[in-house]
Amino acid sequence: MSSIRLLIPLFVAIATSTAAADDPTPKTLGLGDLAPMRQVSLKNVDGRQITIAEAAGKKGTLIVFSCNHCPWVKMWQKRIARIGNAAIGQGVGVIAINSNDPSEFPEDGFDEMKVRAKQLGLRFPYVVDETSEVARAFGAARTPEAFLFDAEGKLVYHGTIDDNARDGRAVKQPWLKQAVEALAAGRAVPTAETKALGCSIKLREKTAS
Amino acid sequence: MPAPAREILALASRRRARATLVNVWATWCVPCREEFPLLLRLAREYEPRGLELLLVSADFDDRLPAVRRFLAAQGVTDTSYLKAEDDMSFIDALSPRWSGALPATFVYDGAGRQIAFWEGKADEARLRKSLEEALAKRSSMEDSSP
Repeated sequence: MSSIRLLIPLFVAIATSTAAADDPTPKTLGLGDLAPMRQVSLKNVDGRQITIAEAAGKKGTLIVFSCNHCPWVKMWQKRIARIGNAAIGQGVGVIAINSNDPSEFPEDGFDEMKVRAKQLGLRFPYVVDETSEVARAFGAARTPEAFLFDAEGKLVYHGTIDDNARDGRAVKQPWLKQAVEALAAGRAVPTAETKALGCSIKLREKTAS
Repeated sequence: MPAPAREILALASRRRARATLVNVWATWCVPCREEFPLLLRLAREYEPRGLELLLVSADFDDRLPAVRRFLAAQGVTDTSYLKAEDDMSFIDALSPRWSGALPATFVYDGAGRQIAFWEGKADEARLRKSLEEALAKRSSMEDSSP
């Protein structure tokens, strides 16, 4: 039997001497960057095509990279639905994007997305990124991962939903909700960048151009 | 088992590995489970050359029985670790460029310098290249020492 130990200080010891790393991690949008691929047509669960530009609200746009299978998404999905549905009423457009290759996880297929959207009562589009190019353009790496843009299309919040995936009642930092409310009210977003563990996005293979 | 910071830091400072491979995983992460056999195979292969594998579960503490079962099924007998701080601190301490996506793999040389980092399932060719690079750095340091 293996033994399990807590680890944090060991990480601190190692990570303080980090050097440049050779990695294929995508370059993620930074605060102030404009949303890419706004005019790309994406298939929504209602069967219609929609673009990010069409989903935009007068006060801004919330884009959440999501999926069906990921345990972290499942823990947060009701909160994502609540925040997204509320954002619509506040003048912030919302679109959830599934960039996962469903051949990796059949649960992420289009039919399953339709069922999930209905179960959650989503009042915003839940669309398929059929080439995963939207995720690549944003530098999105995990689900769930949120990008909030202001009315000018500039990124004002990037990160996770809140500080407690497992227990919504124990959340102390409702980062995304606060960001949306601040944007809608014309205030500065209080915490603009956050992180949490999540599932890696299972990108489709790039197709030859 | 919870351990005070000084104990863990003492453990870290006692390490004599020529290279360290850190993998952050979770029992409910399918790609994490899929890449496990590769990590263990490479760890065994490179161990005689001084590689140490540190497996870090990001499971919640109530999943500890499942973590133990998985490790036992994989034949892991060495000490493994469990993340025990908030996500953001944990992620940024390992790498500010890490989004938090699992699995995540980090390769360090013998001096504790991060040689490689990536998110998502590990690729064997990439792992080997990084491990060779990490081990070579240590060797070159030894060659140049008086």
